[in-house]
Formats: sequence, C-alpha cells, structure tokens
Amino acid sequence: MDFLTDLFANPWVALGGKVLLVAVMVPLLALLLGFAELKLSAKMQARVGPYFAGGRWGWAQLIADGVKFFQKEDLIPEDADRPVFKMAPILVLMSTVALLVVIPFGPDLVFQDLSIGVFYALAISSIGTIGVLMAGWSSANKYSLMGGLRAAGQLIAYELPLVLAVVGVVIMAGTMSLSGIVEAQANAPIPYFIPQALGFAIFMIATLAELTRIPFDMPIAESELVMGFVTEYSGFRFLFFFLAEYANMFTMSAIAVTLFLGGYWLPGIPESTLAYAGPLILAAKVFLLVFAMIWFRWTFPRFREDQLQALAWKWLIPLALVNIVATAAFKVIF
Amino acid sequence: MTTIDADAVRHLAEAQVSVELQTEEMTLNIGPQHPSTHGVLRLVARVDGERAFDVTPVIGYMHRGYEKLSEVRTYPQITALINRIDWVSGYANEIPFVVAAEKLMELEVPERAQYIRLILTEMARISSHLMFLAAYPLELGAGTPLFFSLRERERVLDLIESVTGGRFHPNFNRIGGVKPAYGSGSTTRKQSQDLPAGFLAEASDAMARVDAVCDQIEDLVTGNEIILARTKGVGIIPREVVAAYGVSGPIMRASGVEFDLRKTENYLPYDRFDFEIPVGQNGDCWDRWWVRFQEVRQAVRIVQQAVDDIPPSGPLQAKVPKVIKVPAGETYVRAENPKGEMGYYLVSDGGQGPYRLKIRSASFSNISILPWILEGVLVPDIIAIMGSLDFVLGDVDR
Amino acid sequence: MTQSPPESETVASSPGDTEPAVDPLREFADSVADAVNGEAIVAFDTVKVKVPADRWVDSLAIARDHLGLVFFSWLSAIDWANETQAGDPLSEEVEERVEILATVADLSEGKRVTFSTDLPHETPVIDSLVEVYAGANWHEREAHEMFGIDFRGHPNLSHLYLPESFIGTPLRKSYPLLSREVKPWPGTVDVEAMPETGPSTENPEA
Repeated sequence: MDFLTDLFANPWVALGGKVLLVAVMVPLLALLLGFAELKLSAKMQARVGPYFAGGRWGWAQLIADGVKFFQKEDLIPEDADRPVFKMAPILVLMSTVALLVVIPFGPDLVFQDLSIGVFYALAISSIGTIGVLMAGWSSANKYSLMGGLRAAGQLIAYELPLVLAVVGVVIMAGTMSLSGIVEAQANAPIPYFIPQALGFAIFMIATLAELTRIPFDMPIAESELVMGFVTEYSGFRFLFFFLAEYANMFTMSAIAVTLFLGGYWLPGIPESTLAYAGPLILAAKVFLLVFAMIWFRWTFPRFREDQLQALAWKWLIPLALVNIVATAAFKVIF
Repeated sequence: MTTIDADAVRHLAEAQVSVELQTEEMTLNIGPQHPSTHGVLRLVARVDGERAFDVTPVIGYMHRGYEKLSEVRTYPQITALINRIDWVSGYANEIPFVVAAEKLMELEVPERAQYIRLILTEMARISSHLMFLAAYPLELGAGTPLFFSLRERERVLDLIESVTGGRFHPNFNRIGGVKPAYGSGSTTRKQSQDLPAGFLAEASDAMARVDAVCDQIEDLVTGNEIILARTKGVGIIPREVVAAYGVSGPIMRASGVEFDLRKTENYLPYDRFDFEIPVGQNGDCWDRWWVRFQEVRQAVRIVQQAVDDIPPSGPLQAKVPKVIKVPAGETYVRAENPKGEMGYYLVSDGGQGPYRLKIRSASFSNISILPWILEGVLVPDIIAIMGSLDFVLGDVDR
Repeated sequence: MTQSPPESETVASSPGDTEPAVDPLREFADSVADAVNGEAIVAFDTVKVKVPADRWVDSLAIARDHLGLVFFSWLSAIDWANETQAGDPLSEEVEERVEILATVADLSEGKRVTFSTDLPHETPVIDSLVEVYAGANWHEREAHEMFGIDFRGHPNLSHLYLPESFIGTPLRKSYPLLSREVKPWPGTVDVEAMPETGPSTENPEA
C-alpha cells in the first residue's frame, strides 16, 4: 500500500490517474443511464425493453450497441469541412467530461475543487453549444444546418435562465465553490431547493432544454425527422454524441443536486461516514432527477420553436430575476 | 384561391431532393416518404424562414385505378378490391358498395346480417380512430399514447379477424348479406356457419377495455398544456370552407357542423341505437382530436347495444342467384366512414359487373383543402395540421 | 337510355325503410328541377337532375344559393360508348356522349342531388365550377385527365394522379387495359368447377 501512496504522491501520476478515472467514468455513466432510459421507458409504455442481449435483463444491450458503433465505416460527406466535422463531437463530449471535474462526490472526493466552481461549470457547459453549431455547419447538408441553427438558438436562449437560477444559490451560500455550497447546505442545515424552489424549477427546465430532450427537442425531431445536426454522423462519431447526451444528463443533474439538493450530504449522517457513503448518496439523488427527466420525455410532446423561445425569454428569465432580487433582499434583511 | 403557374408546378414536381438555399425563400420537399401512417404524399412547400407559403400537394403515388378495374370485374370480385381503399378501416369500405348493388337488385338484407355488418363497421371505426389517437401525439412528440392505444386496437382487430378471417381486408360482405363464417363453400359441410362461439361476449369485453384505455389516453393528453399549446387555434377550418371543399367526417363535425350520415342515411339500422354526435366549436386541431376521441366512446356504446340486441339466429344472406347480375340502373349510396363520407355511384347495365363505378373517397376531398389551410403556416404546424386531418393515401389516390 | 323509367317510386330495399306511397324524395326532386329548369329523375333513393350544358354553372349556383345544397360532394363523368376496349359492351345501343355528374348535398337533413349534363363524345367542353364550389378544383382535374374533358376557366388543369408525361385518358371506354391485351380475359367462368366430392379420410383417392 505504501508503494501506491508514494506513487500517487507524485502530482503527475495523480493527474494521470484522475484523467483516466474521468475517462472511464463517462462511458460507464452513459451506459448506465442509457440502459435506465431503455428499461424505464419500456415500463411506462407497457413493454419489456431490451430482452435478449446478455440474458433476460438485456443488460448487455448498450455494450453491444457500442461495439456495433465502433465497427462501422467512418463516413465523412465529401463537401464537409473535415477538421470542423471531426472536431465537433469531441468538443461536445469534452465539455461534459470537463464538467465532471468539479463535482464533489464526497467531503474530499472531488477531482479538482475550484473556488469559482459554479462559474466554471456553467461556462464549460456552453462550449458544448459551439460543438453543436460546428456539427450543423460542417455537415454540408441543409437540413443539418437548419437543425444546428435551431439548436444554437435554443441552447443560447436557455443559458440565461440557467445562469440566473444559480445566482440565488450563490447568494445564499456566499461562495461559488461547489464543495463550499454543499458545506453551506450542510451547515444551514437545509437543502437549497426549499428556499430556492423557484430557482430549482427554472434550473431543471433550463437543463432539459440544454440537453435538447423532450419537451425541448425540436432541433432533433423536426427537421423531417432526420436527426437534425447529428444527421451526417455515423459510427463512433455518432457514439460520441450519444455518450455526450447521457453523460451530460448525469453531470447536469449532479450539478443540480449539488446546488439544490445538498450534494453528497444527508441530514444526520456524520462526516466520517460521508467520506465513503457520499458518492452513493449523490448517485441516488442524481438518479431521482434522471428518473424525472426520463419520465418527462415519455409523457410530454414537444414544444414548437417559437413557444420554446417565448417560454425562455418571457417567463423564465423574468422569474429568475425576481428570484435573485428576493434572495438578495432576504439575505440583506435577515 | 392562389393561381399556380402550370409550368412552375411541373418543374417543382420533377425537382429532386436538392434544395436551393436562397436568402429569402427555400423550396422544401416534404415527402413522399413520410414517417407516419399517412403514406406517400408529397408537399412542395416554398418556405420563408419558418413560414410556409404556397404549399402544393402532389398525389397519385398510390393510384391503382380502382374505377377502371371495377369495369372489368364482377361484383363479388370488386368487394375484394375495395376494402383496400382506406386500409385502416377495411370493413367500412365495402358497405356502401354492397348496399348500392342490393338497392339495384331490390334485395332485403336479413336482420342478423345487418347487425353483424353494423357491429363490424363500428369496430372498424374504433380501429381507425384508435390509430389516429396513437399516431397524432407521436407526431407532436409524445411517445406513450401510441402503445396504450395500439394494444387495445389489437384486441379489436383480433375480433374482426375471428369473424372475417382478415384484420384489415375482410372481404366479408356478400351481395345480399354477409359471408357465413368459416368457409361456406366447403363441399363436406353443407350448412353455413355463423359467428364464432363466444364472439359476442368477447366483443363486450373488448369494448369495456377500449373505454378504459380512452380514460388513460384522456389523462395523458387532454389536460396536457403542451398539447393544447400545439393544437389549440392551429389550423382552423371555417364552416364555409368545409362545405365548399366537401370536407366530411370528423373534420366537418369539429368545425361546428352537426351532421352525421349515420343519422340521415339508412344503409344500416343505426336508427335503432342510441348514440350522440360529438360536435366541436372552433374547427382547430384540438377539436378534430376531441371529436374523434368522443366518437370512439360513442362507437363503443353502439357496439355494446348491438351485441345485446342482435337477433339470436337467422339467415345471413338473402337469396341470390349463383351468378349475380345486377339489373340496369344508377344509384348513389354514401356512408359515414371513419375518415368521412364515402360513396359509390354505381351505374349498372344489367351485367355481371358495373358499367361505371365512381368511388367518392373521403380523404381525397379532405386534403384538397391543404393548399388553402397551409398558407402562411409555421413549418412545425404543417405536421400538426396534416396529422389532424387523418387521411390515408389509399383513400386519396384510390 | 340504360336507366330505369323516370317515374319509379323509391323501392323499400334498404333496412328499416317504411316510406309511404307519396314520396317526399319525389317532391324534393321536383322542387329542385323547377328551380333550375331541369328534368328530375328519381330512382333507387337517388335524385338526378338533368340540365343543359350551357346552364351548368348557373344551375349549380342556384343549388348552392337557393336550395341549401352547399356541400360539394364529388364531380365525375360517365363515358357512354357503344364499343369498349375493356369490359363488357352495353346491352343496347346508346347515343354516344360524355355525361358529367356533380353531386351536391345539404348539411342539415342529408338531402342530395346529382346534377348531370351531356357533352359531345369527341370533344367534351364545359365551364368550370371552381367559382361556385372551390372543392371542384381537384375533381375537375381528375375528370380532365381521366376523360379528356376540358373545363373552361379552371385555374390549373394539370394532371392530378397521373404523371405529367402520361398520354391518354384512362377512364374512357376506348382506352384499353394493357394486361388484357397481353392475356385475354377468360370470360365469365375463370375457375375450375369444384368437384362434387373431394378427397376425405375414408376415400383419399376421390
């Protein structure tokens, strides 16, 4: 054991280990959540879901899909802008991976705690938008371009409510560091979704829009039911987008849990237990939110693009501003 | 009415999928491959940003020449063809045709046969409307009502199959009645067989389940704000347009016209049953959904009453000669099909087949309003409006 | 004319039909015929009103405006010809013509009238109905491509069902069915008669 501790004392080795861990976590999370979506949606629709791959539970379905994607031909349209085309899925996936870095899994279990954690998280997640635009532009396909532009409009419009909803939490916690926010909730002791209920609701709606999930999946579903900006991607490039979507579901839900639901903390559990129970608690809370997202996807139809934009600009942003003002007033007065 | 230059239409019709991205407007080709149950319809739309103007439907991809074919077929052979016109509600297509032939032959159809016809027609209506209730939310993005609705539809189709032998193309009517089930042409069994054992009880049970799934779908859809936002006020068809274009069926009733051919025509004994006609108020997509939804419930009522009321035994077909020749004459019989008014104008010359059979199909008139209604509409609303019209290309193209 | 005599009463051939001898349908038909100055024929529950070709649009305008027949059901034609390339010929000779039919109905009681007029067989020309009933647009396009009828005043008389390059008018009796040219129609009996007794378990050899 001493050998390992000495080894990881070396900062470069520690860095390498962390990078490896993150790289492994992202596909695993995507697999898990993807499988959860398949099975849960099946239950809601009176079907069974994956059944054959890997025995009666079908747990190997997504692994099989992954293998299938890897062995496909790498097709790039002739007129496509090759460097941009290849870079786009990487950008989308990397923004997700970079988000995972600041999430606190336990009192000391965070890849890198930044004092500007919240700021960094929101900024990095908007890099994914650039990736989407690049994908739509470089595909040399008018429908992809239309889908990409629509997605860009939607994603940019919903960035604002996302950021504004978080400001209330930052005011209450007094710090932008994500670990600090969890500790503030532990000290309060109240998870912030109770005083910040409005902020929580706005954050969740904006998250659904950022993930382009139903009810906000007009960019993907509308363009003649071809996959919008993802149309021309096949094989492992498509796999990147697929992994990015589900990993993003996890990371955005984890951010929501950290900001509003208390992160790895539960009332009544001592700090020493949280050191190893923290990740499990976090995972359970994240799963609750992910379940809600899956539930919404299969219950609601999709918004039309103008209704979607109206919701963001006319409703969510003013409400978020009201939330900020009210929170600040409370903080000053009490 | 927009004047469309014939040359421009021809040019557009021959254009491939290539899209000219000009700064102001774009020609968008929607179809003929459609990811929905409608079929091979092609819309050539000129789009300015999000708004479509000048939408031209191009039809005829499924034209099979039924009217010409009818001139070279005998009457029993025609019934095998025509249930393929509106393939979602197969049985209902045959009814007006056989009634027309029976009118010219002056036949009296036995009562039990009429009840069986009525039960199967209403089941066809339930099947067609359940398909609509499944597919329309899917086009709007909600994936779940599809599964609930199709599960019950399978039950109804199984019942139809148990009687007629076919789920969608029953070919069950004969001139003068219905076909005695399970093969009456057999030489070893001389007596004809009637409805399968237990059919009436299973039909009652299936109707109860259809009612239950209607409750489920109502919970999922009716209160849903997003569906209301997507369908309320979208695609309004005023009463004058309904009359001028010949739009019939649920679309007509959604626009406020209280008219149902089941109450005014006498092709089947609907006057013995108690049912209501749902009428909408605004004529938008939501009303068209609601009218079809209520029609399912009313059809369930009719079937339950018919199953209780059916004469316990009786002949299934009037006495007809082996080789059927319909006397000379002309008649027009129309019926309330699930999609709208379906009619057959039968011109007979006393032969074994018609001299001319004009088929008036509901969807043909229903989608002739598309150029009018899709003018200035947002592109996503095109999908919503077309879905709410609930047409089938076999019915359009014949 | 291969029609039943014009004065026949409606026959009680439909279920649940107990029409008295004085026929409301006949009264209705006569009122329509008076209004448009045409000839009414009532047969088999169908009202047919014949009008001359030059008063076609006027009659239908009167029907829409004064008789309450606002619902445009369909428009089509019948090609009365003494020789046919497909199907059986007529049992008796008729005067060759193209008969246009247009059915309109009301939206309250279900009354319907089929207006009809005769056009010359070789070059049928008639005024278009789109000004009166907008829905006639597509029906007239179909009648044009199927029968070769020219509708004066129609905004766009292009093909509806058939491809633009299609030549010929398929629903005319002079238009042959290609499959019938290739393989002759066997006639009225096209299947073998069923044997009197088929093979059974006692007698497999039968």
